[in-house]
Amino acid sequence: MEHHASLLAQWLTQVLHLSQHPWPGFAHGAALSILERYDHLLNAALAALVAMLFTTLVRKNLSRIPGPLQQMFEGVVEWLKGMINDNIAHHGEKYLPFIGTMALFVFFNNLFGLLPALSPGTSNWNVTLGAALVVFGYYNFQGMKEQGVGKYWLHFAGPIWWLAPLMFPLEILGLLSRILSHSLRLFGNIAGEHVVAGIFFGLMPILLPVPMMFLGLFFGLIQTFVFTMLAVIYLSGAVSHEH
Amino acid sequence: MKKFLTTAFLFTLAAVAFAQGAPAAAPVAKSLFEGQFTAHIALAIAAAGCGLAQGKAVVAACEGVARNPQAAGNIRTTMIIGLALIEALVIYVLVAAFAIK
Repeated sequence: MEHHASLLAQWLTQVLHLSQHPWPGFAHGAALSILERYDHLLNAALAALVAMLFTTLVRKNLSRIPGPLQQMFEGVVEWLKGMINDNIAHHGEKYLPFIGTMALFVFFNNLFGLLPALSPGTSNWNVTLGAALVVFGYYNFQGMKEQGVGKYWLHFAGPIWWLAPLMFPLEILGLLSRILSHSLRLFGNIAGEHVVAGIFFGLMPILLPVPMMFLGLFFGLIQTFVFTMLAVIYLSGAVSHEH
Repeated sequence: MKKFLTTAFLFTLAAVAFAQGAPAAAPVAKSLFEGQFTAHIALAIAAAGCGLAQGKAVVAACEGVARNPQAAGNIRTTMIIGLALIEALVIYVLVAAFAIK
């Protein structure tokens, strides 16, 4: 895939006078500064900062009579809580901080494609792979904590003992391919939407990209929902006791 | 069947014509099924299958909601998860198409 650094990275490169040089095996040897090369990290970090800014603002100004921002965030928290309680049987609310953090991170990253001069951090596979790996590590850790290490890994073998040599590798393979599907889904959707919006922008910069940007807003929300929902489902599969 | 064959033949002709119309810069003759053409066709096939499958899923969900509007919330959630899983297959092809480019 061709590399297009966001305008912000290019502008920062010019302002800060960063040295540009080719990167081996990347972008056909085009001369890029470090910010242009690791553009996705810049955008992801910015999105995380914006998310932290918003949440800190809400946290500081908590009041009995909620303002618009607090109402919005209360709605988000309620919705996440409902989703976790629907899927995880007992005391699921202790997973809310982690799930909420992932949801906010992914959401702000998705929406960064709509801002001028920025590109969504999630339109690079490295970022979504990182997010999926964090979720993967978290639900395995929680599963082992909840069920005990031996019991957690044993439940991949299935209930019938003589099928275990067949089931265990298959289940482990399924477990590992979850990382791939979890990250590629988010990456492909956001990157595809961004590329199409870019092509529309190239055809006619005024008005034509607007429907695509609206679709981008919608898809960003839906993909955040799907990412969070799948994280909750994986988590509930890992921590649920079999009766 | 005859119509389908004719259409397929015409498409092949068109593809060959387009391939010939391109400037012949490379001395080595490139196969038609090499490079971007493959990616485009693969994505088209994947998108067609995905469209059919998602259509079926949405039809079933709509029928479910029409019969029992109170279950709309649950059905919607399940439908979105299902759609995401179906869509993931196309996304794999899209990623492969990016990689071919």
